[in-house]
Amino acid sequence: GEMRLSVAAAISHGRVFRRLGLGPRSRLDLLRNLVTALVRHERIEAPWARADEMRGYAERLIDYAKLGDTNERAMRMADFWLTEKDLIHKLFKVLAPRFQPHPGSYTRLLQIPNRDGLDRAKMAVIELKGNP
Amino acid sequence: MATLVVLFSPLPRLRGLLQRCWGRLEHGLLPGVSGGHSSPWGPALAVQAPALLPQPVNDTSESHEAPSLLDSILWMAAPKKRRTIEVNRCRRRNPTKLIKVKRNIDVCPECGNLKQKHVLCGYCYAKVKAETRLIRMEIGKKEGGPFNAPTVETVVLYDGEKPTEKDEGKRIIERPRKRPSWFVQN
Repeated sequence: GEMRLSVAAAISHGRVFRRLGLGPRSRLDLLRNLVTALVRHERIEAPWARADEMRGYAERLIDYAKLGDTNERAMRMADFWLTEKDLIHKLFKVLAPRFQPHPGSYTRLLQIPNRDGLDRAKMAVIELKGNP
Repeated sequence: MATLVVLFSPLPRLRGLLQRCWGRLEHGLLPGVSGGHSSPWGPALAVQAPALLPQPVNDTSESHEAPSLLDSILWMAAPKKRRTIEVNRCRRRNPTKLIKVKRNIDVCPECGNLKQKHVLCGYCYAKVKAETRLIRMEIGKKEGGPFNAPTVETVVLYDGEKPTEKDEGKRIIERPRKRPSWFVQN
């Protein structure tokens, strides 16, 4: 890889991860809540930046789930990322077989026209392919 | 000896004169016009115009803080001349070019509303959202408690539809209305 010549300045060239919420912990919590909601409801409205961040995490989670129920790492990942424990069952038993034939890209991200009330934020819809 | 005496005698007078001048300088800078030396202190007055008004109140306090005012003679930036309306117009109208015209507005083929090209149609999305809300309410009624996500897939059936061969082990959500045109059955 490239040299990390300690660019701690106000330049953010090439940074892939956005800064959401109050800090890194808060950002992870936010994304975890969104992932849980997506697995529960299969279609989520959220601000576009959060949905974009969440998309990568969700797809990697499904890849972990595809490894199988018995896999210890997969189970630990699912345990961390899904706060509602019945959704772990749903992830392994419903979503893994559903996305088994597809190699990747299990989510769809589309922009909604009307932004939020008063703050006019750019909203987006994330949904799992396969519909309710 | 005589020269020394002659030199000594004007010195204390000079020093006294210098002291009195310096005292007048210190006190003369602060009150300003009322000191009477308006012409040599003209530019100093223009610089310290804001200090004119509070001067009768702040006289005693200012005499203690004279060095701080002398240091802060550099003052803040201020416009020298009024900006003419032509200059103002050039600044306000040119570079930002006054809200760019949007060319990416199209007509939605389904409902005929206007939409941006890369964005979903608002009306159609509102319809989808309302329908999903009703479906989720049905799911909620079927599940009962808060954390009862089922471990099987779900199928939504509308009026007059029967579960087919593919919908074997899935749980069925019934909706007592006609199938909406945009909802494609897999």
